[in-house]
Amino acid sequence: MRLFQFSIIFLFFLSMIEGVKYATGLSDYLIPPLSEITAMILGRWRDFLVPSLNTLGVAIGGHCLAIILAVVVAFWARGGSILSNMIKTAAYNLQAYPVVAIAPLVFIFLGDGLVSRLLIATLICYFPLLLNFLGIFSSSVEEVEHFFMQTGRLDSMMEITIRVFENLDKMITVIAGSATLAMVGTIVAEFLAATMGIGYVIRKALYQNNLAAILACLLYIGFCSSLYLMAVEGMGRFIKRQLLT
Amino acid sequence: MELSVRNISFGYKEAEYLLFHRLNFHITSPGFYSLFGFSGCGKSTLARIIAGLLSPQEGIVQKDHIHTILLCYNTERLPGWLSIGRHLESVKAKRVSMQDLEFIVDQLGLHPLLGKKFFRLSMGQKNRANLARYLVQDFDMLICDEVLANVDEPSRNHILAIVKEKFCKDKIVFYISHNVDEVCFFSKKVFVISGGTSETKRLVEIPGIDGIKRQRDPGMDELVQNTIFKVLMAASSSQGRER
Repeated sequence: MRLFQFSIIFLFFLSMIEGVKYATGLSDYLIPPLSEITAMILGRWRDFLVPSLNTLGVAIGGHCLAIILAVVVAFWARGGSILSNMIKTAAYNLQAYPVVAIAPLVFIFLGDGLVSRLLIATLICYFPLLLNFLGIFSSSVEEVEHFFMQTGRLDSMMEITIRVFENLDKMITVIAGSATLAMVGTIVAEFLAATMGIGYVIRKALYQNNLAAILACLLYIGFCSSLYLMAVEGMGRFIKRQLLT
Repeated sequence: MELSVRNISFGYKEAEYLLFHRLNFHITSPGFYSLFGFSGCGKSTLARIIAGLLSPQEGIVQKDHIHTILLCYNTERLPGWLSIGRHLESVKAKRVSMQDLEFIVDQLGLHPLLGKKFFRLSMGQKNRANLARYLVQDFDMLICDEVLANVDEPSRNHILAIVKEKFCKDKIVFYISHNVDEVCFFSKKVFVISGGTSETKRLVEIPGIDGIKRQRDPGMDELVQNTIFKVLMAASSSQGRER
């Protein structure tokens, strides 16, 4: 469904560009004809698919790291202790700062390899995840927790299990939403300084003023993002089904 | 086994006035006791104070030979990832035998529901499943706050009779309900919170029938009607004056 939706949007976008071109009489140099774009997408598919999959791999890695990090930090920050409050305050203040702005620093210190891309992807989707997980882990579900509290069975694991289960839909939505952010983070990182991935291909195409290549990149990015989102949502639905049946 | 509530005063922070002012009552032996009062008079708040979940601004709750007080209420939910049967098995207190668990499951009519998840049950079934898990705990006093509110009357009568027979010999069951009839019939004593302001609100103690099985006995019916009349009069006494 997501792939179909994306294909429709992409075709609509492409026809709009071509429509503007023919309506205003722009040259083929500025906006390539449909035949050239199609040839680029189908003829050089390997040049776009491999970097897109590379970007997707880094985005998935960054996303997983961000989820693990957000779960761990939210777990420690959920209580009312001084340390918890300090972590919460730091998280709220840090998330207000645009992470992309520190990306150049990451490249200066860590170089233009995999680690930098991974780190930026992680940081970009980490804060929204953390804030949501903090909210979920900190808000008690009184009607379920009461019994366990009364009978002395409400340990940390039980508390988190109850809160995650009760907010499963919210968590799945947040994780799926942050998957797009991970993809965005990776592309931004590649666009800035990396030497691999689809962001790097876009940068090269930009320098060559090659709109057909940029449009081909957008198509492959869209396909990869849609596939990843479908996988995350499908996984969420599977987990939910397993727990509820 | 004794519970004394002495001079309890309580008001919620956001409220302008106190909910109670110097309420007193005593329970001196195991048995089935009830708390009755009209909506909003503070029954659930008083239950939470007794269970130690709220601290009164004034007064104390003294307990003698009462170590574990559990409070259950009707909107509680069982965790959704386990079936009713697996949940009951996992939360059963060590001192409660499997036979006791079987007995409770049987008497509360939970056998057909054991394989089901909580969210698939009807409201009445949810109430029964919730009460069952409390009955398989190790407690000295169980406060039931409208815990059978959605259960049909014959089942409710049966469950209350079972609870009385099985638990009230050596434990205190403190039952909160809006159903004046069952409150009067089953209870050893009915504690009634009267209406009015915190200053005029009182806790009136009325002897109950302390019955177990409902029978068509004209004499008994009259006795129950008399008790009901006394309880309703006590509950509405200050309210009537105010109106």
